[in-house]
Amino acid sequence: MKLVVAVVKPHKFEEVVSALHALGVKGMTLTEVRGHGRQRGHTEHYRGAEYSVEFIPKSRIELLVDDDEASKVVDTIAQAARTEKIGDGKVWVIPIEEALRIRTGERGSDAL
Amino acid sequence: MSNGKKFIALALLTFIVLIAVGVFANHHSGDPEGTKTGNRSDLVAEGVLKSKTVEPNAVGLQALADGLGHLGVGLNFTWLLVTGFLVLFMQVGFAFLVTGLTRAKNAGHMMMMNIAAFAVAFIAYYICGFAFQFGGVAPIIHLGGTGPLSSLFGHGSAGFIGLHGFFLQTGSTYDVGTIAFFLFQVVFMETAGYIIIGAIAERINFRTFLIAEVAMGALIYPIYGMWVWGGGWLAKLGVSAGLGHGAVDFAGSGVVHATGGWAALALAMLLGPRIGKYKKDGTPRAFPGHNQGYVVIGTLILVFGWMGFNPGSTFGAVDLRIAIVAVNTLISACLGFVFAMAWTWSRWGKPDISMSCNGMLAGLVAITAPCAFVAPWAAAMIGTIAGILVCYSVEFIDRRLRIDDPCGAISVHGVCGTWGVLAVGIFADGTYGAGWNGVPGHVTGFLYNWNFGQMGAQIIDVIVGFAWAWGITWIIFSIVKSRRSLRVPAEAEIEGIDMPEFGALCYPDFVLQAETLGADESELETAGSSVGSDREVSQ
Repeated sequence: MKLVVAVVKPHKFEEVVSALHALGVKGMTLTEVRGHGRQRGHTEHYRGAEYSVEFIPKSRIELLVDDDEASKVVDTIAQAARTEKIGDGKVWVIPIEEALRIRTGERGSDAL
Repeated sequence: MSNGKKFIALALLTFIVLIAVGVFANHHSGDPEGTKTGNRSDLVAEGVLKSKTVEPNAVGLQALADGLGHLGVGLNFTWLLVTGFLVLFMQVGFAFLVTGLTRAKNAGHMMMMNIAAFAVAFIAYYICGFAFQFGGVAPIIHLGGTGPLSSLFGHGSAGFIGLHGFFLQTGSTYDVGTIAFFLFQVVFMETAGYIIIGAIAERINFRTFLIAEVAMGALIYPIYGMWVWGGGWLAKLGVSAGLGHGAVDFAGSGVVHATGGWAALALAMLLGPRIGKYKKDGTPRAFPGHNQGYVVIGTLILVFGWMGFNPGSTFGAVDLRIAIVAVNTLISACLGFVFAMAWTWSRWGKPDISMSCNGMLAGLVAITAPCAFVAPWAAAMIGTIAGILVCYSVEFIDRRLRIDDPCGAISVHGVCGTWGVLAVGIFADGTYGAGWNGVPGHVTGFLYNWNFGQMGAQIIDVIVGFAWAWGITWIIFSIVKSRRSLRVPAEAEIEGIDMPEFGALCYPDFVLQAETLGADESELETAGSSVGSDREVSQ
């Protein structure tokens, strides 16, 4: 099993989710986060004083998938989230040791 | 052409157009004073009377006269009370404005200060403030005469303080005219009381704040208010020293706004800046307000309330100048907004929401003193200058003087209020204010008669107003500061003062965000130790 984690632009989140649903993905978790990449933040003025907006709002999506599905899921997310402008975000994959569906006690791939 | 040059060109063009309008479109074929509009010929037009000459018997004439007198005073009462209610509603606007301009972690504190100010200052004004201010005012004809307010301390041409009307009882002031007048005046005092909240926000402790509101309602506002509005020595400068009509301040650019602004200045200086507001090299750090939507809502409510503040200050609906007063007020507000918006846009690349709103308020504050005495072109000019002035003033106070004023109260109310009082001496066009402050003739500024007497009275007025409001506030709170801290403890200020001061959060689901602290840890320690002595006293 793998954990796929994607940090994407908030306005792209719906497209990512519908692309994943079209792929047959069952569940996922969404978190509203803030972050920056190589581009860093930007500076603004408030009542004449300069301030920097270092962290920009992003949507973080996490989903557990079988090993052989991971690369397809990653490609789907990347395709749906891409605007080709700075700040499109990242996707990464982490190996998972164990998963358990709390209601039934199923383990491993059955729990997905 | 750079943005800066475009802005200057736009400003100059506006001045030129406005001056041209003032010079060339200044024929008084209308009825700007409002005395010719509405008489018995209107009854003929409506078919009530057959002809313009009425020949009733003596009894009928008496009854008709009594009925008319009562009707007129009744109209004025209605006008005064309804406009007073509008001014009361401005308190909602102030609450939104100052809360939106500050950080979420202190929102409960801001809101609580706003409502507590209302109750506490009201009581102080009811007990003695009203008596000090208006205990010796001359009878107000529009309200059927306010006879009981007749006790003046000081010479008739140099009154110092009024002495009738403590608790609205002493000196037979349990009287409809007097108490209607009280309602209108107490909400004005409340406005001065709210203004200070903008400059002391996010660091004052609640006890100090309550002392400030009692002082405002009982002493700071009423005494200077008496000198200008209660038949006091500034109002009588025309009679006693031949300076125009004496100090003329129609609805309180000076009496209400500058007083609030200068008291706020003294308090902000004594309090010192919020922790982290200034970096080690002295440059200011931005603490963005947490709700720009509140700022806009608050500003719009204030504009609406100002439709009571200025037109209501005629004390009577039979004075038809109210229409001009209302429109002048809106003209100035809109030009103030546009020029503050344009200034921030040209200077920082984007129009600043909160500064644009400050510009609208600056226009309102500045037109408050001259609104009844000037023509629309001058109202536009006054608002334009106020909108630009407030931007320079905010920057000057923030960067040069390094006085922390989170909501711009000192600039909007102190600086632009002062500009408004002076504007009377420049732009008053001699169409209104016959017999004002006991001086025959209409109030006229130097642009219209090249006589600087009125301007002299206005200059004395603003100097005395500053000296009184700033000075007395400084003295009172220097004494308070020597006995106990004016500020909340440093840890409380960093974490947000809702919980330490009131035990409840405005937004219970609120998560403290890293940058709302506005400083890194090492700077917080430095700032914390600089207010450390304060902290020990308060604990």
